[in-house]
Amino acid sequence: MTRKFDPFPYLLLVPALILTLVIVAWPLFETFRLSFTDASMRPTYDYVGFENFVEIFQDDFGEVIGRTLYWMTLSVVLKLAMGTIGAVLLNAAIPGRALFRILVMPPWIVPIAIGAFMWGWLYNGQFGMISGVAQRLGILAGPFEFLAYGDSAFYATIVTDVWVGTPLVALYLLAAMQSISTEMYEAAWTDGASRFYRFRRITLPLIAPSIATMALLSAIWTFNSFDIIWILTEGGPRGATTTMIIDTYKVAISRFRYGEGAARAVMILVCMSIFAGCYLALLRGISKRAQA
Amino acid sequence: MKLRNTILASTALVGLAGAAAAQEEIYIINCGTDAEPQVPVQQEAIEAWEAENPDYTVNLEFVAWGQCQEKATTLASAGNPPAIALMGSRVLMQLADAGLIRPFDMTEEELSSYEDSVLQTVQFDGQVWGLPRAFSTKALYYNKALFEEAGLDPESPPETFEELVSASQAITENTDARGFGMVAASFDATMHDWLNFVYSNGGTILGPDGEVTFDTPEVIEALQLYADLVPYSEDGPIAYDRGKLEPLFREGQVAMYISGGWGRQRTGDVDYGLALIPHGPSGENGTLLITDSLVVFEGSGVEEAATDLALALTSTEAQSAFDIAGAWTPIRQTQDTDALIEEDPTWEPFITSIPTGGPEPLMLDYVAMQDAIIEAIQGVILGEVTAEEAAAEAQEQLEELAEE
Repeated sequence: MTRKFDPFPYLLLVPALILTLVIVAWPLFETFRLSFTDASMRPTYDYVGFENFVEIFQDDFGEVIGRTLYWMTLSVVLKLAMGTIGAVLLNAAIPGRALFRILVMPPWIVPIAIGAFMWGWLYNGQFGMISGVAQRLGILAGPFEFLAYGDSAFYATIVTDVWVGTPLVALYLLAAMQSISTEMYEAAWTDGASRFYRFRRITLPLIAPSIATMALLSAIWTFNSFDIIWILTEGGPRGATTTMIIDTYKVAISRFRYGEGAARAVMILVCMSIFAGCYLALLRGISKRAQA
Repeated sequence: MKLRNTILASTALVGLAGAAAAQEEIYIINCGTDAEPQVPVQQEAIEAWEAENPDYTVNLEFVAWGQCQEKATTLASAGNPPAIALMGSRVLMQLADAGLIRPFDMTEEELSSYEDSVLQTVQFDGQVWGLPRAFSTKALYYNKALFEEAGLDPESPPETFEELVSASQAITENTDARGFGMVAASFDATMHDWLNFVYSNGGTILGPDGEVTFDTPEVIEALQLYADLVPYSEDGPIAYDRGKLEPLFREGQVAMYISGGWGRQRTGDVDYGLALIPHGPSGENGTLLITDSLVVFEGSGVEEAATDLALALTSTEAQSAFDIAGAWTPIRQTQDTDALIEEDPTWEPFITSIPTGGPEPLMLDYVAMQDAIIEAIQGVILGEVTAEEAAAEAQEQLEELAEE
């Protein structure tokens, strides 16, 4: 007996399909198409083959890619480390725990632009709190402008990004920790396991899939981070904080070089696809282990 | 009777609606807000033009400065341009190259009503592409009390590069303040402020035929000036745009800085003086001339009328009233200008330097040019390159851009 074809379920998918085509597939296709053109402010443009891709590697884009990966890696590692510590502290049975859980959220809740402006003032040498406190403690002899020098500006933008991103990591890992059965801890405690031993042999292995998932998601978000760097430094001084996304914005939007900008966007897409592929593989692995 | 009146009224209404429909719209994108003091003056001029041109109606849209130029350009690129927009004159070359705007056919009399240096901000390829609408020049602000405290004469501000450096040094060494407030962040004001010194040293970024003239003694001397001023400037000038520098001047933490006429309202309680930009060994006191201009876009369908309206709004009389109402540096030298200086002498340095001033360099890829110049300035300030090395590097980058 053959089963009769029922088009109804497919019809239900049509609105979602149209939406995906319009807001995802079409812009993606247009970006790819533009990346092979010399599109600019002019009403017409020509196809230039791979010229844009060749040109971006002749510029200092390779350096920009390296800087972006370093910026992202450092930021994600710090977010995960601080997020894990934060989650452990928030999971501890202390009075007022609920209040602490609320108090960690503001960096994540405050609009990024406002947070970045606030950090801009904190980094100010004359009026900023960081320089002021460091001077009072005798760490600095005089005012220090954190955003004025290549290295300090680079790490300052990472600190701000970590400040914004850590609460989400902490809350996500806290949720993972709370799903661990308390009986396991009680059994380990009965056997005389120390607090650190319990963390290393019970907590860490059981939240490892969550850490890996958060690491990949955080890598994707951090890679695409634009607001913080743009507001604090606009990619300066002398390109020290110019990441791929900043460089692409400057070329495509500030300089109206849509073709070259699209080629850079395609490069970003390639990087993101690698992260997304890793993320999907990881999810599949976790799912298989759960079924086994 | 009642029915007849109703029919007559309806007919009249239809007629009026038809007449309104026959009117063509001139859509203007105006940067800023309708709360600015010059807006009523402009509105009056628009209404007068509409009265003379009943076939047209003007639709004026105010868009915040941050978005307005991008909006006009995006609309034009998409084939749906405004008839007129207020644009920074720096983008005129790019807009003209893309065929998005049309030049103004001006009479000799109209052209000669502008200072040559002002006209240069909107003129290239032998044609005028925008009508100057808002204009700014710069001067040196200095704190008289800090000058006195440092043993300097508060009525004798520095006139040369050398005097500027020595005054900055004296203030830094003899007071709690720094001598010179330097803007060096990765923003346009960094290039703008430094160009004041280039023009005050007889230098240029582009020659008369568009050739790059960055690696020249005059420009190198202006870069060297910044290197010499760094020890006497606020710590980390690369973190400072003009907005962040103003509080330092207001609180007496820096004794001198460069700003436009608007800075006079932002000095707080400081007893300040104003002076021409100090000149270098190779030039005389100049200033950077920045204009925003009214441009007429191609493809709106009302280009001729829009051109006529733009010319009417920027006619000598209308523009002068607009400048005075908005406290802008007067674009044309008229009797009104003389009266303005007489009434408020602080206008003098902003106006007398106009003839020796220079425009923002016009290059197709303006932003890339600006980035290259800012990198050269920042390199010198950080001590990563010498003035000569920075000039040579920037020359190479700018030549590449000029070839494109």
